[in-house]
Order: sequence, then C-alpha cells, then structure tokens
Amino acid sequence: MMETKDKLLSFVEQVKAIPGGEHVSTCYSCGTCVSKCMIQQKVEPDYNPRRLLRMVMMGMREQAFESPTTWMCSECDLCYSSCPQDIHISGVIGAVKQLAVEAGYETPLEVVSVDESLCSGCGICVMTCPYEAPHLFEKEVDGEIDRFSAVDAEKCMGCGMCVAACPIGAISRPGVSNQEIVSQIEIKKKSDKKTLIVFVCDWSLRVDDDVELLESYPDYVRVIHIPCSGRIDPQMALIALNSGIDGVLVCGCKHGECHFKRGNYVSECKINLLDSMMEQMQLAGKRVRFVQIGTQDRGRIRHEVDDMLASLEKEAV
Amino acid sequence: MVDAARHPNIDVRTYTQVERVEGFVGNFKVQLREKARYVDADRCNGCGDCAKVCPIEVPNPFELNLAPRKAAYISMSQSVPLLYTIDQEACIHCYKCVEACGPLDAIDFSQEDRVVWEDIGAIITATGFNHFDPSVIPEFGYGRFPNVITAMEMERLNNSAGPTVGNLIRPSDHQNPKRVAIINCVGSRDKRFNPWCSNFCCMYAIKNAVLLKQMYPDIELSVYYIDIRTPSKGYEEFYERARQMGIKFIQGRPGLITEDEETHNLYVHSEDIALGRAVEHEYDMVMLNQAAVPQPDVDDVSSVLNVQQSPGGWFMEYHPKLRPVDSPTDGIFFAGACQGPKDIPASVASGSATAARAGRILHSDEWEIEPIIAEVWEDRCVSADGKKCGICARACPYGAIEVEVGKAATVTTAKCHGCGGCVAECPHNAITQLHYTDAQILAQIRALLADKPEEKVFAFRCHWCSYGGADLAGTSHFEYSANERGIRVMCSARMDTDFIYEAYRLGAGAVLYSGCHPQDCHYITGQIVGATRAKRLTKIFDKMGMSPGRFRVEWISAAEGEKYSRVINEMQQVIDNLGKDKLMDEIETLRPQMEKRARRMYEVPDVTNASDYADRMSAVMTVEAGNDGN
Repeated sequence: MMETKDKLLSFVEQVKAIPGGEHVSTCYSCGTCVSKCMIQQKVEPDYNPRRLLRMVMMGMREQAFESPTTWMCSECDLCYSSCPQDIHISGVIGAVKQLAVEAGYETPLEVVSVDESLCSGCGICVMTCPYEAPHLFEKEVDGEIDRFSAVDAEKCMGCGMCVAACPIGAISRPGVSNQEIVSQIEIKKKSDKKTLIVFVCDWSLRVDDDVELLESYPDYVRVIHIPCSGRIDPQMALIALNSGIDGVLVCGCKHGECHFKRGNYVSECKINLLDSMMEQMQLAGKRVRFVQIGTQDRGRIRHEVDDMLASLEKEAV
Repeated sequence: MVDAARHPNIDVRTYTQVERVEGFVGNFKVQLREKARYVDADRCNGCGDCAKVCPIEVPNPFELNLAPRKAAYISMSQSVPLLYTIDQEACIHCYKCVEACGPLDAIDFSQEDRVVWEDIGAIITATGFNHFDPSVIPEFGYGRFPNVITAMEMERLNNSAGPTVGNLIRPSDHQNPKRVAIINCVGSRDKRFNPWCSNFCCMYAIKNAVLLKQMYPDIELSVYYIDIRTPSKGYEEFYERARQMGIKFIQGRPGLITEDEETHNLYVHSEDIALGRAVEHEYDMVMLNQAAVPQPDVDDVSSVLNVQQSPGGWFMEYHPKLRPVDSPTDGIFFAGACQGPKDIPASVASGSATAARAGRILHSDEWEIEPIIAEVWEDRCVSADGKKCGICARACPYGAIEVEVGKAATVTTAKCHGCGGCVAECPHNAITQLHYTDAQILAQIRALLADKPEEKVFAFRCHWCSYGGADLAGTSHFEYSANERGIRVMCSARMDTDFIYEAYRLGAGAVLYSGCHPQDCHYITGQIVGATRAKRLTKIFDKMGMSPGRFRVEWISAAEGEKYSRVINEMQQVIDNLGKDKLMDEIETLRPQMEKRARRMYEVPDVTNASDYADRMSAVMTVEAGNDGN
C-alpha cells in the first residue's frame, strides 16, 4: 500500500491519486458505459466498466485487479463522450491497471512479439503504436552494439498496427500474423461475377445482424475478419489484386470511434494512398476502397458491399 | 384562469412584456409594452371567423409544430382572454379576415405597440420552465430518426384535443406503435448539459406509461431509468401500480439508439443493471423524457427585475428552506418552476405562498426593515466630484446603491439589507453602516486587545454563520483556547482591511477572518466580496513576511462548532510554536507597515469619541413607503 504521512491510502484513494482516476466517486452506476462498450458484447461477457468502478468505490482491490475489465479496455473512449457524469472511464481503468501492474498482476491478453533475429531497430513500430507499447533498447550482439524493439506486454492491446507497419515482418501476433491473413486471400471463381475481398474490422460492426449478413455472401465475396483496420498492410491488397481478385474493400470504424484509438486513420491513409498510386499507374478504376462505419450505422455494410460490387461491374463495362 | 380573468380585482394582460422595473418594495414602477395584436381587444369576441378564412398556415409551436396554425390565431383553444392575434411575420395582408369579421370590425391593422407605466406594490414572477432540446445528444438520434420523439410531442399525440385527436401514431408510417420505450433523464443529471434532477420526470414517465397502457392494453412499454424517484405522497404507490400493470422498468441509461433504415424501428442499447449485462431491445417508438431547463430569456428577465440566478439559470430564492418563494429583493416573489423544477402540487403550493407573501405587502402602510442600513457621506464621495468610482455599487448584492458621476452615491434605504460590503469596500471612507460604524467596531477591537494582545487569537465572525459556529462550540462545550477574542459583524463583507491592520497594529497574536460558506451567504454575494478581500490580505501579509498561520481565513457554518474550536486551537498552536520573543519581534517589525496601510483608524481616535460618531447616524427605524429613495 502507498503510504502518506500518517495513514494508509484506501484503494479508492490510490486510484484517485493517479491522473485519470480522480472522478471515480461521481459515478452513479447508470450503465451508459456498458451499453456503449462493445467488448462485453463481442469478446468477454464478464467485461463491465460500471462494475469495475463500483469495485474501486467499494475497495475490492483483488477482484478489480483480476477483472477482465482492467486489462481489456483499449481506451477507445466511446463511453467517455456519453458519460453523463463526465468521468474519463478509461482513465480510471488505466489507473487500476497501473496499480495492478505494480502489484505484480499480468495481462491475460494475446500480445505481439518481436523476432529479434529479424528486427533492425528502425523504430517504425514505436511511432505507429497508439499505446506506446514498443520501445527500442540496445544490446551487444557478437561484440557490436545493436538496437532492437521490445514490447511492454501490459501496454499492448493487440491491435496489430505495428505488425502491419513493420517493413521486415519482425513482429507478429498469434491468430492474425501476416501469413494467416494472406492465406485467406483466395477466391475460387465459379461465375463471371466480379470478385471482392472485404477486410472487416471486428469492432466496426456493432449489431449481430450485420455480422450475420457477412456470412451470407456468395462465393465471389470473401470476408476476412481483422482486429482493426489498422492491421491492413497495403501489400495485402496488392496480393489480392495480383491474384486476380477485382476489388478490395476495407471497413473500419468512423473517425473518433476506432477501438484502438487511431487504427482507422492509419488504414484510411494507407488505402487512399494506394488508390492514388494505382491511379497514377493508370490502372483502371477504383479497385481499393476504405469505408467508415459508425456505431449508429446499422445496416450500412450491406450498402457499402453492394455499392463496391456495382462500381466494379460498371468499371468492367 | 377564466375565474381570474373575470375577477374584478384581477387585470390579466397577455401579449405584454415587462420592460423596466424601478423603485422598491411597495413602490415599484413598471414599464409594460402591450404588443400590437392587430385585433381590438374590446371588440373581438373570439368567434374565430378570421382564422377560418385566413389562407396562411405556419407551424404551431403549441402543438410542437406537429400541426399548423393560421396567421390569425389563438395560442391554444383554452386561451384566456379569448382574443385572436394576427401574426405579422406570416400575414400576407389579404384582408380576408377584415371581411370575415364584418360588422364586429375588431381587426385593426393600424394598431401599434403601447408602452405604459404602472404603479405596482409587489411582483410575482411565474415565468415557468422550458424543455431541453435533445437533438444535441447525438446518441439518441432525435431529429434524425423519425420515431424518436420528445415527451411533449408524446403529450400532444396522446391528447384528445391534439393534432391526431388522441390517436398515438408513429411519425414515420402513421401506424399505432406496439412497443414503446420511455427514456428518462435525457439532458438532466447529465454534467454535459444540465447537472440537476428535473424533479418530475420520473412521475411523468410513469404517468405516460400508465396512460398509454390504459388506452392500448396490448402495448409493450419499457421505462429506462437511472433511479426512479417517487418521494411525495402516493407517488410510490402509483409506481407500484404501473409495475403491476405490466410496464417494464429497466435500470440502465441507454448509451445508443440505432434505427433499422427500412422499418424505422428503433433498437435501444443499454445495460440492464439488474441482469448485469448489455441488452438491445427493439421498439416501434421511443419517447425521450427531456430535462426541465430555464426559459431561454431568463437572463433578460433577471436583469429587468434585478434578481439573481442560481447555477444553471433558475431564479435564486432568498433562502432555500426558510424563504423559498421570496427573492432577495423585497417585494419580488417566485411562483412555480421559474425558481427550480417543480411538479404540479409544488407549483400550486408555491403560487399560493407567493400570493400570501405579496398580500402582506399590499395590506401594510409601513414596511419594517433592519435598522442596520448603509448611509453615504456626501461630502466624501468622489463621485460627487465628477470622478468615476462605483466600487460601492459593485459590492452591493441588492442593487441598492446608485452611482451617477457628478452626484454622490445614493443608497435606496428600502433595498439595503445591511451586509456592510459597500462600507468596507469604499476606498474613501464615504459610507457608514448604522450600528456597525467603524468607530464602534474599532472600539471593540481596541478594548479586546488592550491587555497582552500578543497572546490573543482575534476572530472576526459573521453574524449568520461563523458567529453561530462559535456559539455552538460554546453550548456544546467544545474546548478551545481561552485566549480567543472575537467580534461580530453582519457579514464577512463588512470585515474592513483596516480592522485587520488595526488588530495587528495593536499587536494581536493571530487573526481569524471567518464567514459563511460561499453558497450559504445570507447576503447572496456578500461572502464573495469578503473572500476576495481576504485573498488579497493573505497575499499582502505573505509579502510582508508574516509567519504563516497568523492570518487565517476559514468559512465556518453555524453547524460547525467543532470546526470553530479546532481552528482556534490550531491558531493558538501557531502562536505557541513561534514563541513569545520571535512573535514580539515580528509584531514590532510589522507595526509601521500596518500603521501606514490603515487609513480609517485615525478618524476614530478613541472610545469616548466613538459615541458622538454613532449619534450622527441616528437610526431610521422604519421607512415610510414612498418617502424614500427615488
């Protein structure tokens, strides 16, 4: 426990003492944060920010440290903008996480790892990461000082933006390594329809209806799920086009709603850049496209896919 | 309302704006602008023939723009007095109404606004409240999703005199909704918009739900809430009745509403706190129970009446518990929700209370006030010499002081409540307060510090709070240092810098500057005047090199006897820790500076002369109505 001059700080006082945790006591448990957050709905039924704040207020230290809420919040701040008490909830969760790390708890998340035999120490991953998880360090290898990247496990949220950014593929994350995604880029063409690869950020589709809709597409549309649109490497789009696929659609979250802070910006920039490069190379038509899907855009994905297919058909004529 | 209009002693003026209010209790002069209706009030019999022939239709704000009205209109069918008005902004001057009016000849396009002055004894403000506009909350989609409606729109759709004759329909397809959600606390209890609880919306939501359930027994109803508040008689029982009728109450404030673009059905995303998980339910229609907010022109009204506003813009009452319908200005009262969100029973009660309070004024020839008013020495006021000053007027919480360059400042006695802020603030010592003159207070300070001043903890206490705190410390037998000496003034605003300097000049060991907590000040903003001065003093003493703790500023309520005794004991500790030698050294070093800064004490040489000084200010115990001020 932290100590001040004459008394031990309680758990809630410790949380309040950390920048971001100040306003925890104003929470009146309305549940707005839970209804905004998609982690409970999509990944972890036990995830509940309201309950974590309650645990903090009731002094339930160990339960708070063990709660998945402490570890899984990716600071997207969807809840912050609608919290009626103006509590920066991810700040409170961050404060709890900091205390948990200090107390020796470890993240249960799948995080990225760096292959030191490949890493050149260029530092692009450090610039890319929204969570400041990677850092560079120096190490002596065969009598020479060399720079490498390493990732702080408790900071990494597993978005994969560094994996997409690494120029030599030294970083990988179990489940969504480059090979695993690339191996899905394959369409066996049975009809003369235009073929389309849809990379879908798992967080951009809030409602189950939209997710189910993606399963219902015929074989000429291939849907590939990714943890964040920022995970997309433009090379993947090129691989797809190279293998004879007609178009690539990348679906990310609306500006300001990215689950990993800024993956959608990064991806949008990359895809738009690729698009204009292809235009300069005088390749016919818009073959790659980035679309934003907001939390209130129920049913929008269907229109976007139909629109992309229609424009591919039109280009062909 | 009809009875009021018929009453011989009640004069109902509608379509009339209060533009200026001058004078004081019992003697207000009020400027009214009677706006031109373009209809002669004496001739119009309210038949409505003009509206029937009028070809112009504009949105009707009374129906929340769900239905049109004509350019010749009454605001609602029960309007009192029943007089039509021609909306000049919409009128195309076809004069069909003139024709329709026929021999009655009530329509007069040459009418102009009329400005009249009236003598008024007391003013009751009953300007009510407004509804929060939920379109600024993006997650609820009001304004984008047609089937998300507000409580007031529901009220009109559900009203047998409303645009649908009481048939509740969805705006998107005009079908009766089968599943309706009601969302509470839209814009209230929300720090982004309005932090307050709007008081009546819980009951309002339950009422609407019960009403809909009675009209459409098959309807599915859910009420989303943060807390259900049913504090008055019979309210909790009504809530239980609603639950028994099968209305679902879901604890959890929705964070998001999404819409199916084809059916225009709505999906409400919320947490069901009782289940502990996020849920998504589909509805045909969603009603947003908006916050009550002050009227949009509340600032104009408060500046016309010269009354203050509480945080958020509601009119501020004299005292939240003991004088809830009085404004701090005598003779002005607040009825109903203009003072804060109120339900119907509370509004009726406050309306009756204001009538009784106003009746007291109208039935008395004389009006008693406290005799501790402020008076200006005209020969000293620099404003009389043509200089710009006005510090006294800025310090006055009641607007009782008028300053005009070229004339000495004047205090309207009937408006003065005697906080003494102007007296202490005046840099030229041109104002005095009866019964709390500088001479009287300085005499007290000198008497109390006559013997061994360096041992004393000298306390300035305000009458309403910290004096009460000291009193409570005594009656509760909380022990505190016997070296404490204190005097009472009406407000911390009266605690002149010179009094503090004088106490130190005389060699006081420590000085406490105490008053009410900011929100509790008896004189509205007197504490702020005092606190600003105390802050300045703290800085000055710091610069002088005074030991920390010898000057202390504390806000102590009448209930904080324990705090008072603790503060005094801590200050005694400061003196003890310094040690007598060091303290005496410090007092001697600082004495010349104190002497230099204090200006007033030379005017009051000693105690014997003080009584002459006080005699000059012989009290005016009652102010005869009409003989004072203007």
